[in-house]
Amino acid sequence: MRSSALDKGIRTGVIFGIVIVTMFLIGFTVAGAGLVGKFFGASSSYSTPSLVYFVIFMILIGAWAGSSASTRPLVEADTFKYAATTGVSAGLISGLFAAVIGFIFGTLSANRIDPRTYLPSVSPESIRMFLFNQNALTGSLMLLVLLTASGLAGAALSFFLRNSDRVKSGARKASDSVSGIVQSQRVSSVVNNPYSRYVFLFIVAAVLIVLPRTWGGYWNYVFGTVGIYIILGLGLNIITGWAGQLVIGYVAFFAIGAYTFALLTAPEPHHLTWNFWLALGIAVLVSALAGLLIGLPILNLRGDYLAIVTLGFAEIIRILLKSDLMTPYTAGPRGIRDIAGPSLLGKSFLSDVDFMYLIILAVLVVTFLANRLQNSRTGKAWYAINLDETVARATGVNAFTSKLLALSLSAGIAGLAGVLFASRNQFTGPDDHALMVSINVICLVIVGGIGNIPGIFLGAFALKGLPEILRETESFRLLIFGVLLIVMMRLRPEGFLPAKRPELEKASAQNTLEKEAQS
Amino acid sequence: MDKPTSTSTKGRVRIERYVRTFVGIVISAFLLWRVYNVVVLQHSFGADTWVRFGLSGLILGGMYALIAIGYTLVYGIMFMINFAHGEVMMLGAFGGFFTFEALRFIPTPTAANPELNFLNAYPFLSVFLAFLVGIFISSMAGFFLEKIAYRPLRKAPRLILLITAIGASTFLQNLAMLLFGPQRKNVVNPDILDRGAGWIVSISGKDVLISYTGVFSLALSALLMIGLYIVVQRTKLGRAMRAVALDKNTASLMGVDVDDVVSKTFIISGALAGAAGVMWGIHMGLVNHYTGFLPGIKAFTAAVMGGIGNIPGAMLGGMLLGIIESVGPAGLGIDFQLKDVIAFSILVLVLIVRPSGILGEKLSEEKL
Repeated sequence: MRSSALDKGIRTGVIFGIVIVTMFLIGFTVAGAGLVGKFFGASSSYSTPSLVYFVIFMILIGAWAGSSASTRPLVEADTFKYAATTGVSAGLISGLFAAVIGFIFGTLSANRIDPRTYLPSVSPESIRMFLFNQNALTGSLMLLVLLTASGLAGAALSFFLRNSDRVKSGARKASDSVSGIVQSQRVSSVVNNPYSRYVFLFIVAAVLIVLPRTWGGYWNYVFGTVGIYIILGLGLNIITGWAGQLVIGYVAFFAIGAYTFALLTAPEPHHLTWNFWLALGIAVLVSALAGLLIGLPILNLRGDYLAIVTLGFAEIIRILLKSDLMTPYTAGPRGIRDIAGPSLLGKSFLSDVDFMYLIILAVLVVTFLANRLQNSRTGKAWYAINLDETVARATGVNAFTSKLLALSLSAGIAGLAGVLFASRNQFTGPDDHALMVSINVICLVIVGGIGNIPGIFLGAFALKGLPEILRETESFRLLIFGVLLIVMMRLRPEGFLPAKRPELEKASAQNTLEKEAQS
Repeated sequence: MDKPTSTSTKGRVRIERYVRTFVGIVISAFLLWRVYNVVVLQHSFGADTWVRFGLSGLILGGMYALIAIGYTLVYGIMFMINFAHGEVMMLGAFGGFFTFEALRFIPTPTAANPELNFLNAYPFLSVFLAFLVGIFISSMAGFFLEKIAYRPLRKAPRLILLITAIGASTFLQNLAMLLFGPQRKNVVNPDILDRGAGWIVSISGKDVLISYTGVFSLALSALLMIGLYIVVQRTKLGRAMRAVALDKNTASLMGVDVDDVVSKTFIISGALAGAAGVMWGIHMGLVNHYTGFLPGIKAFTAAVMGGIGNIPGAMLGGMLLGIIESVGPAGLGIDFQLKDVIAFSILVLVLIVRPSGILGEKLSEEKL
């Protein structure tokens, strides 16, 4: 019994120890302390955060290690001794890792060796903070003690939360009262009232109209970006979420839209200054056509090829845009300036508020389209292909045409997003269309809920809105996205807001069959 | 029963194949005409230049082949594209780089030269150590990648595996960037493997340098490929791997430990990628977090070109791709900046004309 507890604690401790060492080596300890500081209301984002916040950060990690090590045992009795053993051993082992790395770097910096030649993220400030402003030995011993204690505290906390009757009954009472409110007559009468829907829509419309005017340029910029990513997410969702074909180089269509629009409306390099709406239409059409052409040779092969070919296609587009060969036509690495903004009836709209309205309008249009598509015959065909292509074919779905349609629709929507992006920035260059954009979009679709429209909204706000608020994590963003993708796929592949699939019909069909068999 | 329908679908498939072949012939004819124009009619480069391009293509091809084998091995066994394979190679390149850097700071003074360091005192041992470290790091990366990210998803749909692989690739790439910084690092070779040194051969009156690093890389990649072939064809592990690739369930009924075989496949493919990474560092001389990305995608192209799932195909595809990539820009008379475009265009072309690859068997619909 004792050995299994120790074993579990040590294993968790090793994992958390490696995580702590990695965090220290990439400079995340400072950023994490900054995040904690922000949570407690410290003002400055970019100066080194105070030591107190670092201590809190380490205590949180230690407590997390302790509590995740001391989950309810499978075989043994759930005693406090078990929880404490696992918690202390997890904290001790992760503390050992931290202490060793702290001691090594503390000694190095005491001997005036700068590790930044090879490990640029390990700054002297972060070493000093990691060792609590002490010398190498004292600091690393303090780390060991702190992590062990917080491991024990985390284990104890999770043990008592798990086993205390008061917490259990409190939680049950709370959930009962919440569900009671939701299920009560009065609430359901309000929800089911046909007018309440209109009231809700009215409130949303009022918020959407009023907010861009009141909250200023910075937030308009941030939420404009969120809106553009919502459009991209909705577009990618058609081919990936519904038709089940992964497109990694989605940014290629974004780039084609942005560049087509830019070349048609900017004074350089082609002296074409077309009307905004005409250029928008053409850009969307060109992107959709590109999707069609890419899809033609590949879509009757298995899905993985589409992923890689689009990835290659995105790289081709980026290299071509940067190359000398295309510089006379696409302005090369400098990018295209002075791209037109929207205009209506001879009046041009260029302020950030106008663009916010335009983006909101586009998001609404695309959402409406996506919603209609999902419930259409085509949408059902996509769903059938996603579930099982062979069966879908057998039931009369033309898989190839359906997939081709999905890809070109996706590409067209990406083109629209590219137009909005280029027009709002009044600039577009090859670096706006790096592969990172695609990874961001895939990530937001997956995290929000693949195949689900509200999920994509949630994903876009979480992945493009939150990082703007949490600026400390800026350089770690893609790293976190990578981890997020792996963890989500393992724990919750359907996303935070999973799509509702028509399982009910299947079940009812089963029921009728059984009834027929009985009678 | 419904004879007319079945013949009509068959007819459609046949028409599609004809269209594919026709498109392929047209594109190939255009490319050949273009090459003929540039090489023979315009005569822009002398024979020495072509030899130089061909040599660098062979060397590059050897590295691509090593990485491509990793893709093919994993694809053959798990039917997944290990998207993070290029990053595994990058980690190996960093392993080699740091070994050289560490050995450079070990003083081993001799009577003749008091400032001699370990790297130059024992160059062969140093290079051996660098490969050992790089291969170890990469194979461990492959092992843990499979264990942490892919194994829990063994029965999940393919899309989920692919997304996990993209996540792993993004994670490893950014981890390396944050750990070691975004700037390119110069790999300092031992003096005997200086990148400028080599045998000088005279071709049509001009000197062509055959660098030691290039010959070394090519010879080593050939050796490793032969070794791999022996492992797959002659050993018990190789037989188990082939059995799992054919049919997982039957193999496990015959007493093959599938998990163990998959694990070892990832270790082997990681080791080959690691060797390619160290070679990349020694021959190309620059290493950063982005090192693995393009070679990774190109090696995948090579694997598809040779027929994915087919080991000799991956070797052939890698060699071909390396040569096409370095001879191509000159042969087609286009800018050298566009050599990456050529590789990706080949991928699209192969998928249009012959999706099963050069040596690929006719894959069933399930595998394709």
